[in-house]
Amino acid sequence: MTTEHARQQPAATPTDESAVLEVTGLDVHYGPRRRRRRALHDVSLSVAPGETVGIIGETGSGKSTFARTVLGLVRPSAGRIVIGGEDVGAYGTRQWRRLRRRGVVQYVFQDPLRSLDPDLTVEESLSEPLLIQGVPRQEAADRVRTFLARVQLSEDLLDRLPGELSGGQRQRVSVARALVTEPKLVILDEPVSALDSANRVQILQILKDLRAAGTALVFISHDLGSVAGVADRIAVLYQGELVEVGAARDVITDPRHVYTRLLVGSAPTLRTASADRAERDRLRALLHA
Amino acid sequence: MVRRVLTLTSGRIALVILTVIALLAVLGPLLAPQNPLATSDNTLAAASGSHWLGTDYLGRDVFSRLLDGSRVSVLGSLEVALMALVVGAIPGILSVYLGRTFEWITLRLADTLVALPFLLFAVAVIALLGNGITQAMLVTGALVSPLFYRVSRAATLAVARSPYVEAALVSGASVGWVVRRHVWVKVLPPIAVALAQTIGVGFIIVSSLTFLGIGIQPPAPTWGGLLASDLGYLSYQPWAPLAPALLIMITVWASNLLADAIRDVSGEAGRAFVNNRKARANRLDGPEPVSTGGV
Repeated sequence: MTTEHARQQPAATPTDESAVLEVTGLDVHYGPRRRRRRALHDVSLSVAPGETVGIIGETGSGKSTFARTVLGLVRPSAGRIVIGGEDVGAYGTRQWRRLRRRGVVQYVFQDPLRSLDPDLTVEESLSEPLLIQGVPRQEAADRVRTFLARVQLSEDLLDRLPGELSGGQRQRVSVARALVTEPKLVILDEPVSALDSANRVQILQILKDLRAAGTALVFISHDLGSVAGVADRIAVLYQGELVEVGAARDVITDPRHVYTRLLVGSAPTLRTASADRAERDRLRALLHA
Repeated sequence: MVRRVLTLTSGRIALVILTVIALLAVLGPLLAPQNPLATSDNTLAAASGSHWLGTDYLGRDVFSRLLDGSRVSVLGSLEVALMALVVGAIPGILSVYLGRTFEWITLRLADTLVALPFLLFAVAVIALLGNGITQAMLVTGALVSPLFYRVSRAATLAVARSPYVEAALVSGASVGWVVRRHVWVKVLPPIAVALAQTIGVGFIIVSSLTFLGIGIQPPAPTWGGLLASDLGYLSYQPWAPLAPALLIMITVWASNLLADAIRDVSGEAGRAFVNNRKARANRLDGPEPVSTGGV
């Protein structure tokens, strides 16, 4: 069933030398040998410079695991990860630190409240990645102001603590923190799921500007709607496997895999609020079969 | 941090008292009006012009002994606290980051130290290393260190895997950076409280070891030692323990006050607290809102 519906076999992902991120045959397992749980199986994906790839899937499908593995926070069981031309598969702590200090890849966390240190002011949080890189304090302060403006936040917020910001402001600070090192690739883990619709639109606009500026983005979400407007390509994760990868428009207008069809059918829109319930039930039955 | 502590009245009071105590520790022996070890026939005398706090059972001037003993007492309890801090708190924080082997070894060491009977261990170590104040303080510090180990480890565990620590790691931060920038601030308040408590306990421990003949040898005065010897002559001089007890009490109280102040101003709540006070002060200083007139 999977092969029939898959638009693109994982192995068929283009092997591009210039790709910012190239993941081949990634396997991730959790837990000790006897109670081993598979989080990702044979995932292959490549992200070209300036490209935005949306990864969608339900809770537990392995989206966050994928992001954390690419960032070296989770050790892969098998597979190859190449970031900016460097094969990081066998990297130890020290090599990871060196790679990360170059600021090539950054990460925006799901929960904007918990991803900012409650004891650090906005300025301290934002300048941290630069100070780690060894950028002089004054230069870091200047860069922080530039990026704060880029996420449409006022400089008055610089000496505020995260607890004194609204949810949308916090998430914009998180995004700004990921951008200050001018990374080639930013991985965003559910960047808009905790936000109300006005803030969501604002963050999505920032991401579009970012894409226009040539930064590659991996946008992880369970919500097809928020990914659709931003992504060039969409990858669908289901139970740890990449079941469909394709141009965003194709995946949305002509989903091949049953799960993608279910996702597209379930996306709440004003037009089709309660339409096709029978169709969704049929797809769900097919998926579980 | 010092500046923020100073915004609190309690912090200011604590720092003033502790500064006085520190000065006493440095200058005390020089200020003593009489030889603290010189005995006289005038035993157990009441307070007078020549003996401000009277004399003890050997006719020694109590005031001079208090001043002279302040250095050893304060340094002794500080030594205990610092030893416990270094041996306890630092491994406590690092046990979370330096891998399972280090974690296992330090946890078992902490368990072992908790299980050891204090006086027996102290006597055994003194027998091994020789008698002296430094040895006595090392032993005491080692025995208090599990408290610091546990407290700092628990506080570190609470933040060790938090997203902001991971965000720092993703930016290439080293363990040292993470500890300095993110963990230390969260661990400091509980450690400050433990430290204040230990300084207090330190005085008592120094005196109980002195009582056993461990550490400071008898003719040399300490606050705790004075208190202990005064207690023996309570029926003759019921007021005698007051002076050393008050000194110990004030020191312990001030260090607790300081610990509370540190806890109050550190962390998110602390900053917000200080900010609010500043904002309120600004509002009060600012011009009164102009009344737009009655209806």
